[in-house]
Amino acid sequence: MPVLTGKELRIVGFLCNWCSYGGADTAGVGRFNQPTDLRIIRVPCSGRIDPLFIAKTLINGADGVLVSGCHPRDCHYAEGNFYARRRLEVLKRFLPILGIDPGRFDYTWVSASEGQRWQKVVTAFTEQIHTLGPAPRFDAVAPELLAKVAGAISQGGNRVAA
Amino acid sequence: MRIGVFVCHCGSNIEGTVDTAAVAKATLEFPEVVYATDTMYACSEPGQDGIIQAIKEKNLTGVVVASCTPRMHEPTFRKAVERAGLNRFMFEMANIREHVSWIGKNREANTNKSLDLVRIAVEKLRRDAPLIPSKFSVNKRVMIIGGGVAGIQAALDCADGGLQVVLVERESTIGGKMAKLDKTFPTVDCSSCILGPKMVDVAQHPNITLHAYSEVDSIGGYVGNFQVKVKKKATYVDWELCTGCGACIEKCPSKKNPDAFNEKIGPCTSINIPFPQAIPKKAYIDATTCRQFVKGKCGVCAKVCPTGAIRYDMTDEIVTEDVGAIVAATGYDLFDIKKIPEYGSGTYPDVITGLQYERLLSASGPTGGHIKRPSDGKEPKNIVFIQCVGSRDKSLDRPYCSGFCCMYTAKQTILTKDHIPDSQSYVFYMDIRSPGKMYDEFTRRAMEEYGARYIRGRVAMVYPKGDKLMVRGADTLAGTQVEIEADLVVLAAGAEAAKGAPQLAEKLRISYDKYGFFMESHPKLKPVETNTAGVYLAGSCQGPKDIPQSVGQGSAAAAKVLALFSKDMLESDPQISRVDIKRCVGCGKCIMTCPFKAIKEVEFRGQKKAEVIETVCQGCGICTSTCPQGAIQLSHFTDNQILAEVNALCQS
Amino acid sequence: MSRLEELKTRIKEALPGLECVIGWQKGYDALHNTPLFMRSAEDVDKLEWGALNVHNPAVYLPTMAGKKVGVVVKGCDSRSVVELLQENLINRDNIVIFAAGCDGVVDLTKVKAKLAAAGTGAGVVTAVSADGKTVSVTAGGKTVAMPMAEVAADKCLRCQYPNAVLADTFVGTPAPQPTPVPSANADLDALDAMSVPDRMAFWRYHMDRCIRCYACRNACPMCVCRDHCIAQSREPHWLSQDDSVTEKLMFQVVHAMHLAGRCTECGECQRACPMDIPVLALKKHLNRTIHDLFDYQAGVDAAAIPPLLQFKTEEVNIKERSW
Repeated sequence: MPVLTGKELRIVGFLCNWCSYGGADTAGVGRFNQPTDLRIIRVPCSGRIDPLFIAKTLINGADGVLVSGCHPRDCHYAEGNFYARRRLEVLKRFLPILGIDPGRFDYTWVSASEGQRWQKVVTAFTEQIHTLGPAPRFDAVAPELLAKVAGAISQGGNRVAA
Repeated sequence: MRIGVFVCHCGSNIEGTVDTAAVAKATLEFPEVVYATDTMYACSEPGQDGIIQAIKEKNLTGVVVASCTPRMHEPTFRKAVERAGLNRFMFEMANIREHVSWIGKNREANTNKSLDLVRIAVEKLRRDAPLIPSKFSVNKRVMIIGGGVAGIQAALDCADGGLQVVLVERESTIGGKMAKLDKTFPTVDCSSCILGPKMVDVAQHPNITLHAYSEVDSIGGYVGNFQVKVKKKATYVDWELCTGCGACIEKCPSKKNPDAFNEKIGPCTSINIPFPQAIPKKAYIDATTCRQFVKGKCGVCAKVCPTGAIRYDMTDEIVTEDVGAIVAATGYDLFDIKKIPEYGSGTYPDVITGLQYERLLSASGPTGGHIKRPSDGKEPKNIVFIQCVGSRDKSLDRPYCSGFCCMYTAKQTILTKDHIPDSQSYVFYMDIRSPGKMYDEFTRRAMEEYGARYIRGRVAMVYPKGDKLMVRGADTLAGTQVEIEADLVVLAAGAEAAKGAPQLAEKLRISYDKYGFFMESHPKLKPVETNTAGVYLAGSCQGPKDIPQSVGQGSAAAAKVLALFSKDMLESDPQISRVDIKRCVGCGKCIMTCPFKAIKEVEFRGQKKAEVIETVCQGCGICTSTCPQGAIQLSHFTDNQILAEVNALCQS
Repeated sequence: MSRLEELKTRIKEALPGLECVIGWQKGYDALHNTPLFMRSAEDVDKLEWGALNVHNPAVYLPTMAGKKVGVVVKGCDSRSVVELLQENLINRDNIVIFAAGCDGVVDLTKVKAKLAAAGTGAGVVTAVSADGKTVSVTAGGKTVAMPMAEVAADKCLRCQYPNAVLADTFVGTPAPQPTPVPSANADLDALDAMSVPDRMAFWRYHMDRCIRCYACRNACPMCVCRDHCIAQSREPHWLSQDDSVTEKLMFQVVHAMHLAGRCTECGECQRACPMDIPVLALKKHLNRTIHDLFDYQAGVDAAAIPPLLQFKTEEVNIKERSW
C-alpha cells in the first residue's frame, strides 16, 4: 500500500540535493513535524527535473507534485534553477488545459538551512492537496461526464470543441 | 540483480517511530530483493561488517540501506560495499530518519512511508550501473583569498608544506581585522607583536606570491585546475620602486581624509601606508580624495618621491593565476551601528564601536595610545560598554551571536583601567558568552580585579547632557531602571558577512547563508570544506570567529589542501552526463544550456554530435532534461531511474 | 506572369546548383496535392501553387542535412524554416528558400464536410478551382461552391505572416494580411470555456479515439528526433507500448512540451491526424503561455534563442508563490 487509504494522499516531491533535500534534512534534524503524505525523489538539481516527470506523475495518478530547488542565484550549479523556473512555470500553466487542477503542482525554493520553511511548505502543500481531494484519474473519468462531453463534441465536430 | 536491504534502527532514532523489522520483511516482496534485515546501527563497524558479510554470503550485487540522509552517510556505505567487492555506485539509500522518523510520531504511517522510500530506492538501484572514475592531473598551487589572520595562517602552512601559494588581499596590506587590535584576550598580548612576525613571514616566504590591493575578478575551471583572474587595482605607485620611506605621506597636502585603517576616527593623507608594520609596506593613492585626481593638479608626491615611483596614469590590471585549490578567508565586517539610532551613533561623536576603541587604545592609533574621546579630546572617566549591538537581535535580522564581543569588551575594560586608573567601566550585557580556555576566568578578572561594573540588561537610549552622555537602561537582576552618566560609550558592534561576500561566493560557486556567510559542507564534520571540490573556508567568512578559531581554521584548510595535493592525479566524480551517440541528433541544445561549458560539439562520421568533457562536467543534469530525445543521460540519475521511482510511487 | 509560372522559372534557374527543390504537385485526385521533389525541369513543371498546398515542406529539411536543397514555402512554412535555423538543425548555407504570397489553404476536413452536406457521396473529386474568395469542388458530377472563409484552415484565418518571413527568392506581389476571424480560435476558446474536469473528459474522449499512429509527430517539422523519439525508445523508457489512454495522453504531452517555445503553429500535427483529434489546441495553449511569459514567438527571428534554452535572473512575468 503506497499510501494509507483514507488518511494520506499520493504526493511526490522532486528535490534538489544541495538545497531543498538538505532543507528537508534540516527540518528532520530540528524535529519539525510534517504530514506523512510526501515521498521525496532526490535529484542533483532542479534543472535536472524534466517537466515531463511531473506530467507523468500526475497523469499516472499522483494527487500532488511538489518541486523544490535552491533559491534563485543560489543554485549549486549556478544556473539550474533559472532554467527550472521557466520550464516549471510553463508546465504549471499547461496543466489546466489537460484537465489537471494547477493547484496539484507547485514549485518553490528552500535552502539547506531553511528547515522551518520546509516544514511550512510541506504542511501548506499537503493541506492544499487534501482540500482538492484525491485526483480524478484520466483512465477513470466518470461515464456520465464522458457522455456529456462526448455529446457536445458530436454536435460540434471533432475539430471544434463545443 | 541480487539486492540486499538493510533497515537501520539508528538506536531508537528510527526504531522509535518505524517498525524496521516489518519494513525489512516487506521489502522481500520487491523485485530482485533476495535478502533483508533490520540492523541496530548500520553505520557502526559491526553494522558495516554485517553488510559486507551479507554481500559475500548472499552474493548480493546491490545494496539498499534505509537509515539517515544520504547527505550524511552515503560515502560511508559506498566505501563499505566497495570493501565487499562491489562497485560503490551499486548502492542506494532510503532516508527514513530525517524524512520519516524525525518528522512525525505515527508509527503506522512512518512504517508505511519507510517502505515506500525503500521501494523507490530498490527501483533506482535496479537501474544503477557500475561507474568508474577517470583520473586527471592536479596543479599544486593554491590561492588564498583574504590576508587576515586566517588567510595568513593558511598561506604559511601551505607554503611551509612546500606548495606554491598565491595570496590575494583586497586592501593595500595584509593583517585584516587583527592588525587593528591593540591587545588580544585572554592573555593581553600585543596584537601586532604576535601578528607582525607572521606578516613578515608571508612577505619573505619564497613560496608565497602576494597580490595586495587586488580582488578576484572571475574563476573558471574545476578542482585541480582553476583559472582565477585577479584584478590588481591601480595604486598609482610603482611598487617595484616604492621603498615605503613615507616621504610622500609627509608632504601630501590632502591630510584630512577619514582613515579607514583607524576606523575613520583619525585623518590620513591621500597617499598612504595604513600602518607602520604594513605588508607590503608600499604607498597607494586614494584617487577619490587625491588632489591630482580630484582637481587635476598637485603632483606633490611625484615631486618628493626619491625613487620616482608615482604613476598617475596607472590602470587596473588583470592577471591570471592557475591554481588547483582555493581557500576563501575573506573575514567579516562590522554591523553598521547607525542602524540603531537610539544609541546615538552618528549623532554623538562619543558613541563609537569596539573596533574604534581598539584604535584609541593602540599606541600606533590616532591618539598614540592615549584614550581621548573623539568630541573634545578629553580623557574619559566613565565609560559605558553596550553588548550585542547588532547581535542576537531578530528585529535587526541579526539573530546570531557574534561570539567574540563579550570577550573583547572584558579586555577593553581591563585595558581602560590600565590606561586610566581612576576610570570606571560599565558593561550592559544580555548574557556573558565566554566558553573558551581561560575565557571565563578572564571576564571574572575584569569584574573582580578591575572593578568593571556589569549590568545585565538592555540599553533603551543614549542622550546628551552637557558634555556627557546619559545611558538609560534596565538592570534586570536588580529589577530597576538605571541611568549612567558617561564620557564615552563603546558599542560592541556585531560581526556581519564581509562586503561583497555573496558575489565572491557566486564566483566560487559555493553556497552562502541569508546573512552572506559562506556555507561549509557539513556543520559538524566538514567545517572547512565547501560543496565545491577544491574550495575551502577559513576564518570568519564562514561565521564570526575569534583569533584562535580563525587560526585553527586556517591551518585546517591548509591541511585539507595539502591532503588534496598529496596525490598527483585526482579522480573525477563519475556521476556525470554521457551521450548516447546513436541517439544524438547534434542539435546542440545541451551545449547551449550547460552552465559549465562541459559539452562540446564533435564530428562523428560526418555528423555533428555532442560530447561531454568528463573533468568539467559537474553532474547537474540540466542537459538531460534539455535533450528532447534523451540522448544525453546523467549517470546515476538517468531518466529511466527517475521514471522508475515515479512509477513505483504511482502504482496502486 | 503568375506566381506559379514565375516560381517555376526561378526554380529552373537555380536547380543546377541544388540537390532538389521541395514543393507540391497534384495528388491522386483533384483535391489532394502532395509533396513534390523537383530534380529536373520536367519535375518543376508539375509544381502547384495555391489553396491545396496544405503540406509543410520544411518537415523534410532536417533529414536532408548536408545536402544543398531548395524549398518552396508559404508564410507559415517559412517560420518552420526559421525555427529550424534558430535551433541549428539546418544550415542556412545549404538552404535556398523560394516563396510567394499565400492567400490561404483549405482545411480538407472542412471541405469534406461541405461535400458531405451537399450530398456528393464519397466519390473522387474531379475538379477544384479557387479564386481566393471561393473554392469550387466538383465531385460525383456535382460542383459545390464554398466560400474560402468557411473552408480555410484555421491558421489561415488568423495568419500574421502570409508572406515568408525569410526567403531568398520571393516572387509576385505580397499577399495582404487577412483580418483575423474570431472563429479562428474556436478550439482554444472552447477549451478555455470548459471546466477543468470537463477538459479531462474531453481529452479522455479523444484519447479513446487515438490510434497512436504518430502521424502528428511525423508531420511536425520540429520533431527532429525521428527514430529516436522517446515515445518509442527503451533508453530512456518514457512510455510503454501499452495502448492505454494515459500513455496516449502522455505522448501528446511529450509532443506539446517538447514544442514549448518552438512551435510555429503550422498545424501539421492536427492536419495529419486521421482521427481529427484537435491536438493543435495543446500547442496553441502553450504558445499563448510562452508569449505571456516571455513575449516570444517562435520562428520569426533566425537569431533569437528559444525561451526555454535561456533565462533571466529576474523573470518579470513569473510571479512565484509565497508560502
